[in-house]
Amino acid sequence: MMMLNQILAIAQKDLKIFLKDPGALVLMFLQPLMFIVVMSYALASLFEPGEERIQLLAVNEDHGHQAAAILRQLDALDAFQGETAWQGQPLTRAAAEQLIVDGQRNLAIIFPPNFSRALEQDLATAQPITARILLIADPATPAQLTEPLLGTLRGLIERRLFTAMIPKGLDFVFAQLSPQTPAEQRQNFKAQAEQAVSNSLLGGDKPLVEVERITPAGMRVEQLPNTFQQNVPGYTIYGIFWIVSLLASSVLQERREGTFRRMLTAPLSRAVMLIGKLTPYYLINLAQLAIMLGASSLLFGMSLGYSPIGLIVVSLIAAASATGLGVLIAAIAHTEAQVGGLTILLLLTMSALGGCFVPRFLMPEWLRTLGLLTPQAWALEAYQDLLVRGYGLLEVLPKVGALAAFALAFFGIGVWRFRFE
Amino acid sequence: MIEINGLVKRYGDRLAVDHLSCSVRAGEVFGLLGPNGAGKTTTISILATLLPFDEGEVTIGGYDLRREAERVKPLIGLVPQELALYPTLSAWDNLAFFGRIYGLRGSRLRERIAAVLDLVGLRDRAGDAVRTFSGGMKRRLNLAAGLIHQPRVLFLDEPTVGVDPQSRNFIFEHVARLKAEGVSIIYTTHYMEEAERLCDRVAIMDAGRILALGTVKELLDLLGGGVIYAGLDAEALEALLPHVRSLPRVKAASLQDGRLKIEAHEVRTALLELIELSNAQHLPLRSLAVLEPNLESVFLHLTGKRLRD
Ligand SMILES: Nc1ncnc2c1ncn2[C@@H]1O[C@H](COP(=O)(O)OP(=O)(O)OP(=O)(O)O)[C@@H](O)[C@H]1O
Ligand SMILES: [Mg+2]
Repeated sequence: MMMLNQILAIAQKDLKIFLKDPGALVLMFLQPLMFIVVMSYALASLFEPGEERIQLLAVNEDHGHQAAAILRQLDALDAFQGETAWQGQPLTRAAAEQLIVDGQRNLAIIFPPNFSRALEQDLATAQPITARILLIADPATPAQLTEPLLGTLRGLIERRLFTAMIPKGLDFVFAQLSPQTPAEQRQNFKAQAEQAVSNSLLGGDKPLVEVERITPAGMRVEQLPNTFQQNVPGYTIYGIFWIVSLLASSVLQERREGTFRRMLTAPLSRAVMLIGKLTPYYLINLAQLAIMLGASSLLFGMSLGYSPIGLIVVSLIAAASATGLGVLIAAIAHTEAQVGGLTILLLLTMSALGGCFVPRFLMPEWLRTLGLLTPQAWALEAYQDLLVRGYGLLEVLPKVGALAAFALAFFGIGVWRFRFE
Repeated sequence: MIEINGLVKRYGDRLAVDHLSCSVRAGEVFGLLGPNGAGKTTTISILATLLPFDEGEVTIGGYDLRREAERVKPLIGLVPQELALYPTLSAWDNLAFFGRIYGLRGSRLRERIAAVLDLVGLRDRAGDAVRTFSGGMKRRLNLAAGLIHQPRVLFLDEPTVGVDPQSRNFIFEHVARLKAEGVSIIYTTHYMEEAERLCDRVAIMDAGRILALGTVKELLDLLGGGVIYAGLDAEALEALLPHVRSLPRVKAASLQDGRLKIEAHEVRTALLELIELSNAQHLPLRSLAVLEPNLESVFLHLTGKRLRD
């Protein structure tokens, strides 16, 4: 009873000090929240092409109607918005290039004059025509943006080419096999064939082939992850590890100011002192997790997945690994300058390696492997499993285990090396 | 209340406390007087269970310090040399925290906080953050924090350093009041006046050892009335020494740092005799100094060093 009261006394004292320190509050709560909000809006177009359409300058020099048809289809795909005119003037190639140089737009597509001719050329011709479509891109445009655009364009052109080639192909066949078929009959047949192909390819009543995006078996995703789901776990985990700075400098301050010494003269066991000292920081970590995930769900409509219990378990262990690292740094740092340096070095490196800022799957193999040595990577994976992949507690247990190993190691070494003076 | 027997503390090769023995009675104010590095803080830290020691026996309130530290702790209070407070918390919150770790709660805790705040005259600043306090106010709160649990033994480590005369008097009054309540107080200082004014007994420490221990009067008696320092030319010193030794009022005479050091039974007469002697021998005195009969002089007498440079 006495011990519990002592633990409470120490914990409440530290919480009070924390709440009176605006800098600490900003560091722990506002900083990660700001990151989440700013980065999510900034990167929204990368992760959610549907919401914000990618603007695409389109210069149509084509003498025929094929390029216009492709542009219409491109527009019909919600992802892109083609602009064929600028300030009321039809776009020219020079104007489009200037707009990119000026930084007004990132991408332009140029259809050459011979585009329709190339698509509609005779199959038997001796000298086939090649039309070259140009995609002009600002070099700073991320590949995440240009690659899908290129893919889409190729698909549309192939489709266009195919439909345009059908009548030509039939003409060729008729010419070879039955040159005497009456022209009218030939025309009818060609029209029917084109209609059928076009329907099946371009979404007639019942398309022959459908593409549908699904998730691997075992994952439950009803709604594709939005930017918040991509960013929130990363920056939240980045945020909770700042507890290292708070905890370690508080410990050093108690050492320096002699308040630990004063406590040591009281009938207070070292275990009680340590538990009392660590509890509030663990609670701050839990509060961070609750606030960050809660705010993202309430304010930005982020899905919290399907496993509240999984979320609680992962959060408890993730917070323990962060607080544990705090104890470790508090135990090995001798000066507050060391705490500052170590914290920044460790936190930024570990968070980056762990994938808090940039998804790990984008990293080269060796960096990805190195990332496994950070608790951040495991925490992030566990959260992504729950939030984005729709897994439950059972599926994330191995990751939770890895995270718990980090927490145990940090606490173990930290408590072993801990000094009150 | 406190029994110390042959206490030794080493920091590596350095002997910080060197076979220290003494005892402190209940309700006694016991002064540890010594220059920087004498080992005062080290001794107090050992007694306050903060430092392990290498040799010796210590009991406080009848409990063995080594084996029964947990029983000793509730009895003692430490007012450390450096402030040990939480600057961003209020005076009240600081005291509440230190009270709670001693197991005080509820109305009892509130009573004690109010009592010690009254004691140090900070009642009206109870709600203010400690960092807004003046240096003297912080010292007073530092004292209050050591008293919150009503210790029977109080260690005060240089409580008046950096304190204005008013706060200093305040602290003196409290020491007297606590003493009247039967609290044993160990008071370290390098201010002789403080020791003279406050302490029932004083131990003069240097380099980890007690050089002399007794009431202020007993210590002053070590001077044997007084000490005279006389400066003469080098050859004159040698010539005069035997004559000085034969003077009736002189207890002892020696050469120290190129001066003649004379311990006299009665300073004033000895001084006159010395001047007459130098005139008669035609060995003129170049300088003359008389040590006042105070602890400063006792320290100088015992060590040849000044307490403060
Ligand atoms: N942690 C330590 N490690 C090594 N040596 C120490 C340590 N603390 C004190 N000492 C040494 O022990 C001796 C006694 O120091 P102590 O602090 O007890 O002196 P003090 O009498 O309190 O001096 P002051 O008047 O300056 O406070 C000094 O020589 C000091 O250098
Ligand atoms: Mg000291």
